[in-house]
Amino acid sequence: MNLGGEAHIDLLLFEVGGQKYAAHAEQVRRVDRATADAFERRSLGPLRDGQRALVFECAEGEAQLRVDAVHGFRRVAVDQLRRMPASAQADACAVGLWLSDEQPLVLVDLMETRKGRHGSDAT
Amino acid sequence: MTPLQRALAEAPERAPAPPAVPKQEFFSFRLGELAVGVPSIDVREVVRVGWVTPLPRTPAWILGVFGLRGEVLPVLDLLRFLGKGESRLTDRTRVFVGVAGSHAAAVVTDGVLGLREVKEADIVAAPVGGDAVNEHVRGVVPARGVHQEALVLLHFSKLLQVARQRAVTR
Repeated sequence: MNLGGEAHIDLLLFEVGGQKYAAHAEQVRRVDRATADAFERRSLGPLRDGQRALVFECAEGEAQLRVDAVHGFRRVAVDQLRRMPASAQADACAVGLWLSDEQPLVLVDLMETRKGRHGSDAT
Repeated sequence: MTPLQRALAEAPERAPAPPAVPKQEFFSFRLGELAVGVPSIDVREVVRVGWVTPLPRTPAWILGVFGLRGEVLPVLDLLRFLGKGESRLTDRTRVFVGVAGSHAAAVVTDGVLGLREVKEADIVAAPVGGDAVNEHVRGVVPARGVHQEALVLLHFSKLLQVARQRAVTR
C-alpha cells in the first residue's frame, strides 16, 4: 500500500508466551477461538492459554495457529521493516523485524509456521 | 675543506627516526573474569544495549536482536559461545558492535576497559591445551605487575565467521 508516496503495510500484532509478534495482516483470514485442529508453533514460546487462533489459508484449506492474545492491527511504513539478519539464524518462520518504537518485533510468516525446518515443531 | 666542513657535509639533515616497533591497537573489555582484547579495527562502536528481542530457535549464544539507529544487530554472548558461562543483560550492560566483512554483531561485555596498544613482541602464544577457547585466541599479553593484567587477544573476525557458520550448519 502506498500513502502519500510512502509504502505501508498492515500488520496484525499477537502474543505467544509473553512475547509479541507481528504477521502480515493479508495472510490472516480471521481471528477466532482456537479449535482442536489448531496447531502450536513451539519455537515462538510456551503458550499461556492458547485460546485464540490466527486463521489463515494454506494448501489444505485453512490452518489455525494458536496464540495467547491478539493486539490488533498496525499500519507501518515499509522502511521500518528489516530482513532477519542471516547471522541470527532464527527459526524459518521468523522472516524479519519491525523496528517499532519500543523494540524490534519479530515478523512471522504464517505459512512457514506450518512447514518449518524442524518438522516436529508444529503440533 | 676543513675537517669541520667535511664533518658537516656528512652530517644528517635531522635526527634519525627510531626503529619502528610493530604494534597494534586492541579494544579491551571484561568477559567474566578475563580481560579480553579484539583488534580495534574490528570494532565500530560501543553502546549501552537497548531492549533485546529474543528470536525463535536461535543458537544459545545469540541472545536476540536489538535495533541500533535503524540497523538490526544480533546480540552475541561470547561467554556462551566459548563455553565459559553466560552473560547477564542489565540496563547497564554495554555491547560493542564488531564487524567482520559485511557482517556485524553486538557483543556483550561485562565492562569496557578501553583501548590498549600492544607491541607484537609482547604477544605470547596461547597455552597449548584442550581448551576450545584456544581456537579463537591469537595470543596473550602477559600481566605486568599488579597494574596491568593479562590480556587475552582474540581472532575476532574469524570468531564471528565461525559463529555464523555454526549457526547456519546447526
